[in-house]
Amino acid sequence: MAAAIDGVLPGTLQELVKKSKVLVVGAGGIGCEVLKNLVLSGFHDIEIIDLDTIDLSNLNRQFLFHREHVGKSKARVARESALSFNPDAKIIAHHDSVTASQYGVSFFQKFDVILSALDNRAARNHVNRMCLNAEVPLIESGTSGYNGQVELIKRGLTQCYECTPKEKQRTFPGCTIRNTPSEPIHCIVWAKHLFNQLFGESVDDEDISPDAADPDAQGPPQEADAAVGGDGDGDGKKPMEEKEEEDATNGNVVRINTRQWAKDCDYDAGQLFNKFFDEDINYLLKMSHLWTSRKPPVPVSWDTLVPEGTTDVQPEFARQHHKVWTVEECAHVFANALKELAAAFLKQEAEGETLSWDKDDQPAMDFVAACANVRSYIFNIERKSRFEIKSMAGNIIPAIATTNAITAGISVLRTFNVLQAKWEQCKAVYARLRPNARGQFLVPDASLAGPNPNCYVCALDPAITLRIDTKRVHMKELRDDVLIKTLNMLHPDVNMMGTATILLSSEEDETTENDSKLLHELNVVDGTILSCDDFHQNYNLSIIISHFNAERDDPLFEVVADAKQLQPTKEQPKKETAEEETAKAKEERKRSANGADDGPSTSKRSRPTEIEDDDDDDCLVIEEDNDEDVMIVATDNLSVESTPKTAIKRKPSEAMEEEEDITEILDSSDEEEAGPTKCKRSRIEPSDLKIDPLLEVINID
Amino acid sequence: MGVEVDNKEPAVELTEAETELYDRQIRLWGLESQKRLRTAKILISGLNGLGAEVTKNIILSGVNSVTLHDIQVVTEEDFCSQFLAARESLGKNRAKASLERARALNPMVDISADTQPLEEKAAEFFGTFDVVLIIGQSNNELLRIDAICQELGVKFFAGDVWGMFGFYFASLQRHSYVEDVVKFKEVEAKPNQKAKFEKYAVPVQREVNYPAYSAWIDFDANAAGYQRQLKKDGPGVILLGVLQKFRTVHKRDPSYKSREADIGLLKAIRDELAPKSALSDNSLEVLFSQISPAVAVVGGVVAQEIIKVVTRMEAPHRNLFIFDPDTCAGYVQVIGG
Repeated sequence: MAAAIDGVLPGTLQELVKKSKVLVVGAGGIGCEVLKNLVLSGFHDIEIIDLDTIDLSNLNRQFLFHREHVGKSKARVARESALSFNPDAKIIAHHDSVTASQYGVSFFQKFDVILSALDNRAARNHVNRMCLNAEVPLIESGTSGYNGQVELIKRGLTQCYECTPKEKQRTFPGCTIRNTPSEPIHCIVWAKHLFNQLFGESVDDEDISPDAADPDAQGPPQEADAAVGGDGDGDGKKPMEEKEEEDATNGNVVRINTRQWAKDCDYDAGQLFNKFFDEDINYLLKMSHLWTSRKPPVPVSWDTLVPEGTTDVQPEFARQHHKVWTVEECAHVFANALKELAAAFLKQEAEGETLSWDKDDQPAMDFVAACANVRSYIFNIERKSRFEIKSMAGNIIPAIATTNAITAGISVLRTFNVLQAKWEQCKAVYARLRPNARGQFLVPDASLAGPNPNCYVCALDPAITLRIDTKRVHMKELRDDVLIKTLNMLHPDVNMMGTATILLSSEEDETTENDSKLLHELNVVDGTILSCDDFHQNYNLSIIISHFNAERDDPLFEVVADAKQLQPTKEQPKKETAEEETAKAKEERKRSANGADDGPSTSKRSRPTEIEDDDDDDCLVIEEDNDEDVMIVATDNLSVESTPKTAIKRKPSEAMEEEEDITEILDSSDEEEAGPTKCKRSRIEPSDLKIDPLLEVINID
Repeated sequence: MGVEVDNKEPAVELTEAETELYDRQIRLWGLESQKRLRTAKILISGLNGLGAEVTKNIILSGVNSVTLHDIQVVTEEDFCSQFLAARESLGKNRAKASLERARALNPMVDISADTQPLEEKAAEFFGTFDVVLIIGQSNNELLRIDAICQELGVKFFAGDVWGMFGFYFASLQRHSYVEDVVKFKEVEAKPNQKAKFEKYAVPVQREVNYPAYSAWIDFDANAAGYQRQLKKDGPGVILLGVLQKFRTVHKRDPSYKSREADIGLLKAIRDELAPKSALSDNSLEVLFSQISPAVAVVGGVVAQEIIKVVTRMEAPHRNLFIFDPDTCAGYVQVIGG
């Protein structure tokens, strides 16, 4: 039974609903709503997966969970609650990560349609790749505040999740964090690093001490001698006790000693405070070149703030989350949080564990709020309330029940379209706070957005250009920061293209000796082509290395996704199979016939609209008169020979046929939609609107 | 109850438990809005699927109280979308059957059931609420209750979902609210740096008049001046007229039990009301019972509007909302001025 009552839905749809098998990825804000809609609509065969447990702050919208469920598995509780709405449904709950190895392509292939309701880009990218591989239609959804979005992703028909470049993750150069903060977020990042230095898992690149190797600290040659510590070789006076070692390559104080030192002085609040906020700042002041065009920091010492030592009791103001604490109050909060954290840490340490920073852990959050504000005070940066710092430190996306309900409703309505193969109806839909000029605030796209032929994921032979400082980046960083964090592979293998040299293996210990080598030491230099492969994702990618010398404030690498500029399409497919070549040529002819293929990077259909970086998602308005699409045009002018073809894993021949059929549909809809797109197409991801999504993956919808 | 009288800060303070529970939404609409929600009293009449969806969203948002009103009993049709009533409650009053699950959604909200027929309700009854939402009533009854609400300064919403199609109408009288207007300012540039601009939001107080429900009754979708609009938006407004006429004439909604016959009746009404409209036979196929995902969309929109009204943050849509399940477009039309 259920819509489930015969006669409610038109007969064919009713049958399709009954016999379909669907997967819901994510049991958060959207996932709960999707699951409810599915069981009430009469879906019988449902699986749901989520690795998360229920938190109190979920309950304002994840309505399948109640207070008594806090701490329990989201997937399992969601299943129980949904079954009470329709006891006839069969639901399998997986309390697990969707990226786990047991959920391979064959798992995804079991389903007729997959609805993803995830809260982070890494998992979205992964599910996108798995669904492309499994050739299963994916309905991708997301919300942030009043904004919501639903889109169909189907191989060959639509753009995939990774066809459009996402807003760049906001990252900060180490020297800004360590030496010259100028925004509250710099101090917050520093404070989180400080937490990790003292109590957390030891993390690379999270030094909190002054960075003497900062290029800005190097004055003109004749003045260099005068600047203490400004010689960049790390033999000036050290900010910490003399017994500390120096990391000769970059002037870092070896971090383990900070932790040991704090322990040795028994976590004395005054001593620690003075080291971080007085001595280290005085050391920074001696790097005088930093302050020629910047306002110098003003050190603060413990005794001036807390003349009578600290109190044991948590004072009243410490719970006033909306108040901006004074620097004296920060010192008190610091002392109290330090005491609690130290005790917790020592207990963990005895078992070989460390603490991990959690925005919902009171002392951990207090510690970061207090330290960030003291540092802001020192550098004359606006201080923030604990409430605001929590948003920034925890990358909290505001979330409300209504947007999730609307978005999930649209997801399941689109599922009906997918089951009936009404592909042309599956245009992306956006939920907005304010109506556009047509009066719409639930806004469907004017047309289906087709695949980006240069997509580095769903294109036939994906390739990217990687601008990277091969003299400063080590193999380990290429793996962790580029391949895993940025390109979202799980277990990459890397070969030098055209050779048998394995630079990086996903097998443990096979290439460990390469980890600490710089890229250029491994002959990965300008013009090198790397062949990267992720077996689990069934994903191959060619990476063309383009070396550059990174400046002080530059990130060490940048991915240029549009490889088309490096591979002129006309001469490209020399080594491809005849079959592929025909398909491609056909596709190209069709595109040309529609005027879509008028040169690189201008195909409107496959090019993304740029959205403005907007941290205030509550007031993001898509302006109607902002009609014309802003094209993202890569500016790299390198020209490189087309990459030799490697073995292709995917590509069953039916897939090619299907792709052709679909192209027809796409074309006909092109003709109907000849006019300019009325609503601005943009992709608003929750993660796009965050301040620094890389710092932590959060669990919201 | 309060329309313009209290623009001052609500007297309540949120407890630490509330601050924690509502953290993610406070980060969107602010503490002030959450405090206003904390004092709001809402009536939801008509606990079908749409009533259940709105009830869920409103309770989750943390209002003061919700009164669930219904005289009907739970039927099999409710299994398609009314998730607050357990299956075992078949044949019981829908409002009462929804109490237990509604309360479990948020123990901080006061929730009660009322089963007295609306016609028997005196004006004072409606006066005890800040917002009244009426679902499933005839136009005559909607007109009557809206007139009472006008008199008492209570914000009035009417809404319905038929199958996958839905609407609401907002009669908010004179409504004042605060809206964030995005502006740009030049950021103090450091030496040797080019000027940068930063977006910031300025709260602006605004006031808008909303026409009464009678504006919709008087509305003529066949008027020549309206045809261009109709062509742009699709025939949703026509369909709403057809369905309301069906309800008036047949004293019920189309039923899945008499599916084919009712599609015939709908066609007849369509051909009478708007003979040359773009309202296709296909769109008459999905008007039965209430289909959960569509109800979720309309229920989400209606609840968000109620929240806007209560918090006096952001402009409530003005004033007729239509959800077109074919395209998934949701749009507003200004009816009556």
